[in-house]
Amino acid sequence: MREVYAIGVGITSFTRLEYPLSEIAAYSGMMAMKEAGFPNIAHLYVANMGGCALNHQAGLASAVVDSMSLTPAGATTIENGPASGASAILQGFLGIASGMYETAMVIGAERMREVDNLESTEFVASLTHPLAEYIYGVTLPSLAGMFTRLYMEKYGVTSRHLAMVAVKNHANAMDNFFAHLHEPITVAGILDSPEAMTNNPYVADPLRFYDCCPVSDGSACVILASAEVAKKMNKPLIRLAGVGQATDTHAVQEREEPTDLLAVRRAAAQAMQMAGIKPGDVHVAELHDAFTILEIVESEEVGFFKKGEGHLALERGETSLTGKIPINTSGGLKAKGHPVGATGVGQAHEIVLQLRGEAGKRQVKNARVGFTCNFGGFGNNVVCLTFIREE
Amino acid sequence: MEMNLYGYKCKKCGQLHYPYRMVCKKCKRNAHNEFDLVPLPKNGKLLTFTHLYTLPADFEVAKLTLGIVELENGIRVTGQVSIQNPHMGMQVKGKIEAVRQEGYDTNYGIVFYEV
Amino acid sequence: MAVDLEKILRPVEHPMPPFEPKYMTLAGGEDMIIRQAKREEIPELLAYVEPLLHVERDYYDVVTARLYSELLAYYRYRVQDEYVLVAQIDGELAAIVNGRRMNADVGMSYHTLALRRGLRVGAHAFATKMEYHIDTMRQKEVLVVAESPIGFRRWMIEYKLEKRFEIPHELGGVPSWALTKELFDRARGSLIVGRRPVPDHLLKKAEAAIIPPSDPPTPPEDTLAATRAKYDSTGTALMLQRRKLTGKEE
Repeated sequence: MREVYAIGVGITSFTRLEYPLSEIAAYSGMMAMKEAGFPNIAHLYVANMGGCALNHQAGLASAVVDSMSLTPAGATTIENGPASGASAILQGFLGIASGMYETAMVIGAERMREVDNLESTEFVASLTHPLAEYIYGVTLPSLAGMFTRLYMEKYGVTSRHLAMVAVKNHANAMDNFFAHLHEPITVAGILDSPEAMTNNPYVADPLRFYDCCPVSDGSACVILASAEVAKKMNKPLIRLAGVGQATDTHAVQEREEPTDLLAVRRAAAQAMQMAGIKPGDVHVAELHDAFTILEIVESEEVGFFKKGEGHLALERGETSLTGKIPINTSGGLKAKGHPVGATGVGQAHEIVLQLRGEAGKRQVKNARVGFTCNFGGFGNNVVCLTFIREE
Repeated sequence: MEMNLYGYKCKKCGQLHYPYRMVCKKCKRNAHNEFDLVPLPKNGKLLTFTHLYTLPADFEVAKLTLGIVELENGIRVTGQVSIQNPHMGMQVKGKIEAVRQEGYDTNYGIVFYEV
Repeated sequence: MAVDLEKILRPVEHPMPPFEPKYMTLAGGEDMIIRQAKREEIPELLAYVEPLLHVERDYYDVVTARLYSELLAYYRYRVQDEYVLVAQIDGELAAIVNGRRMNADVGMSYHTLALRRGLRVGAHAFATKMEYHIDTMRQKEVLVVAESPIGFRRWMIEYKLEKRFEIPHELGGVPSWALTKELFDRARGSLIVGRRPVPDHLLKKAEAAIIPPSDPPTPPEDTLAATRAKYDSTGTALMLQRRKLTGKEE
């Protein structure tokens, strides 16, 4: 297999964008193209989940490849739930690693705010099992709520820990121009004040408003290339050193140990093994915190902390910007936003910035190894990526 | 006629599944539909639950309580919970009822009550 | 002569009980004070409200244009029985709500303008306005309409307002909705919160001066790009990118 490098990245604000979906997608693509010096793109992968369901746009990749005047390059739309973004990166990786392409562009794009929030919740709920979950009114927040209750009971995680994740990620997002939420929140404000229950009501008990990510529009782009192309660039060499993907049962109830996220564990192990690193070697990570509990659990499942100890590490501040392993420096899905198809690429965008040393105020010092975890469904399809800066 | 949720028992190895799947997850060797339909028990233990306040479009109530129940034979099912103050580990009994109306379609599923 | 005509034009005001200030803690941990604005403070408010006339998204323009006229009419005595409440965070203007007493039993809610977005600033201010009608003025119900989808979600859906479609609302003559005392009591403690009395130092600071909003919604630089993010409330992130692409800015 050939080595694969990220030679250009781009992103739009994750927020409400009143542009056509294809245009939202193309913006981040143009940013990345400019950064990478307009390389010749052999294939365009576009990750998107709701184009058909929400925006009346099927075959998004065809629209984008033409809009960006990249024809006759190949173009493929990839829908893999909320893990679409990293799945598309994985496909781009394969294209280049196999020797088939020299450069490939991966865009993740989503426009969910075109519809009202009832409809977008319903749309995301279509990820659940149609007969065993969906008909009961199960949505992703409710799966996360049930999961959180089990986790609290078993490992002693409390609402306070969840709030700490939210506060940390909101604080990180304050330094991220492209983040959806620039709301500095405090544990006192969302948990302790007499008005906390109004400011931060239950969404899916025990999960509350500030435990859930916002619904966002946005797009992000990463251009991947072979070593030959990358080494001609005048930029730090960021290698996509490892990829991993794993799946789990569709219905959450069927999992043997309902507090385990086995797909995360397996995908992370693959991505790290391929890159030849251990969890302890990672300097900065973006984890899929669609719900605050997920950041804690994923930090355990990928191996940064022992099972059941993620919340203790959080308490000690190890996952904060200045901690041992900073997690979600961009603000994470919690505050940066969660345009489902774009999220995985957005995570890679942040890691590339961090490894290049271009993350500005939220820069992690001397970050050389970065890791992302993109979580589809409720943990039934997970893609992890490892990036390494080469000197 | 009493309604049931049905489990799918592999004809080759006897593994019981719910919900339906095409291939047995244990022996992975049975071909399409080689399952016996087995009515699932309705009583069990409430493993976890949530009160959901942001509801999908078809529900016109203020909140919906959902839970995962481990039935007497060990199979776990997700269902609606009609209990005022549920707690983890409590015994519940299930009934098959209409759970969701989508236009003219009525979906039936399991609703759990206090024993 | 002119004085006499003014006597005819100026509506006779009914005595309205003063609103007792209250405060609540926001998600960010800051305390927000809501108090009644004095008539002489209105010109100051007008200056802060005016720029929002040109913010198209989320109907800021419509709400602001109407609110501006209502504030002005209040200041110059051309509306009957109006009141204005202001929400302040550290003295800074966060929201304005106003309304009118229709008769002893019914109130009419006018506008809710949030000059700081998010953190339920507007929602708290609206709830306080309802409290003024129901608890302080002891009215039976308040007529409400929404001009923006956000308002509709916040008032009609969250409070489950009753329909009073036979009554045209003063804002545009559209069918009214009503918040009755019963609905209000149901929301008490959940949607309607806050504490009294306001600590002296907080109240003094709020009354000393209304500080202009530090980060009000601004009109989009690019009219296509209406967005909700606070620091990209205008879609300038995309604009910035466009400029970067065209090489005008690096």
